[in-house]
Amino acid sequence: MVVLSQPERPPASNDSALGWLRKNFFRSWSNALFTLAFGGFVVWALLSVVDWMLLDAVWRVANRDRCGHDAGACWAVIEDRWRLIFFGLYPYEEQWRSSLACLAITLTIVVSCVPAFWSARRLPVLWLAGLGIFFVLMHGGVAGLPVVTTEQWGGLSLTLFIFASVFLLGMPLAVLFALARRSSLPVIAMVTGGFIDIVRSLPLLTILFAAAVVIPILVPDWLQGSKLARVIVAFAVFFAAYQAEIIRAGLQSLSTGQEEAAQALGMPYWSVVVDILLPQAFRNTLPSTINQAVITFKETSIVTVIGFFEVMASGKAVIGTDEWGAQFIEIYVFLALVYFAFVFGLSRYGAWLERRMRVGHG
Amino acid sequence: MAEPAIIVEGLQKHYGAHHALRDISLTVAAGETVVVCGPSGSGKSTLIRCMNGLETYSEGRLRVLGHDVGDDLAELSAVRRRVGMVFQSFNLFPHLKVLENCVLPQIRSLRRSRADATIEAVKQLERMRVDIHADKYPDQISGGQKQRVALARSLCLHPEVMLFDEPTSALDPEMIAEVLDVMRGLAAQDMTILCVTHEMGFARSVADRVVFMADGRIVEIAPPESIFSHPRHKATRDFFNAMRA
Repeated sequence: MVVLSQPERPPASNDSALGWLRKNFFRSWSNALFTLAFGGFVVWALLSVVDWMLLDAVWRVANRDRCGHDAGACWAVIEDRWRLIFFGLYPYEEQWRSSLACLAITLTIVVSCVPAFWSARRLPVLWLAGLGIFFVLMHGGVAGLPVVTTEQWGGLSLTLFIFASVFLLGMPLAVLFALARRSSLPVIAMVTGGFIDIVRSLPLLTILFAAAVVIPILVPDWLQGSKLARVIVAFAVFFAAYQAEIIRAGLQSLSTGQEEAAQALGMPYWSVVVDILLPQAFRNTLPSTINQAVITFKETSIVTVIGFFEVMASGKAVIGTDEWGAQFIEIYVFLALVYFAFVFGLSRYGAWLERRMRVGHG
Repeated sequence: MAEPAIIVEGLQKHYGAHHALRDISLTVAAGETVVVCGPSGSGKSTLIRCMNGLETYSEGRLRVLGHDVGDDLAELSAVRRRVGMVFQSFNLFPHLKVLENCVLPQIRSLRRSRADATIEAVKQLERMRVDIHADKYPDQISGGQKQRVALARSLCLHPEVMLFDEPTSALDPEMIAEVLDVMRGLAAQDMTILCVTHEMGFARSVADRVVFMADGRIVEIAPPESIFSHPRHKATRDFFNAMRA
């Protein structure tokens, strides 16, 4: 029997891990040398980190006298001061309220990430409830809870509150800006466009300072609200200016046929926007939106400079004392892990959402 | 005698310096099927898109089902609720399943309950023979199926007039017949139809009249058998000869 030229099989990739190694890492002498040197360095670095962070670390305050000598990380500082980092200057006896509030807002964010909740009825209810519970818990003044003014709020709960409020306030604002900028009335489109451009051309710091310091001079007392409220509104406007442009890009990516078909079916303007255009615009701009959320989460640390005691500032306060002044590396590593946990969660969520949305949509 | 479904008088349209529609006058009786044809750029799509206000016009008068189509938004939305339109590129909503594509417009335009809207949607999808795709997304079905879903979506609102803007131009040849078939069915049921198309066989078999347009003007209006066999104008003759070639 004649063996016709069989298509040559690709070299079996699983015939030996060694073969794969040789092909990719030990192809020539210089290649091998580099592999060894770099591999050695990576292993050494990993081992040192593990040593420092885990094996040689001092975990308990009771053993703190070992800190600083030849020991690794001194996590005793976290055990001693975690309450300051997470709750800031919030009164010690009331800190359970702050942790419950943290939980409430985290749950609100997580639940509003579930697509089943994306309806014009459910989302606003969820957000109002979440922020309401947070505020009642944090501020108190009802059900026998002592009042804790926003000046005393701090730590992680403040960071989460600022982020959630900015996002939830800024997103509807961004939609309004985006729609206004596309308005068929030239005056509205131009004014909105100009406003967005001005906000985007100012540094966030300037805008927050203006909200904290300048507004009280210009605006009557009854309209000012607390400093925290002013800062959150200003931050939300800043966020909205950027997010509006993302949404506008999403709207422009849709074919005009979508809007025309909906109009031809007699659907009213609000429905064309809410049912047809916005869902598609959000879907098309999901990566940029997640990106903007991540940036905003990290940028919340900027409120330190106008006297708020969010998680970053609280961490710095720990190392500002003589007692734990030497443990600045531990504090910064810990803060980095806290930020990482939230930001990594956000970006994994974004990736999941993108995969999910590709189903049934080419 | 009942008022005609569509009355167009002296319609003019300018796109900047371009004169897209020149003094168009046309009357379409209720139940009539009128096919509009002509070379590309002749203004036939522009004309049909004026009928439900997707295009504005510069001068003239346009009455559809007794409503003045113009700047009055209330009149415009009344017209849109009573006039259906099917596009060359289907324009299904890609983020909604086929069934929801048909249900949502009923809820929003006619304020039907979801239950009633769903019953109507299933009925129209069955009529267009695409009910087995109700649970799919638009990108999971073929072009011919998409166009029939688009037609079902429109019919759910019980339109009295249907506008077709080159409904088969984006379809592969083997799918054209399935769409033309359902359109023939509509024409037979006394629907008032205004259709821009190059399908001369369709025009011959269902049109009461054929409108031939060139350079933004109506050149000739005649029943299909006479316009195809004895076109009176050279432009019409040249166009149909080119179509046959």
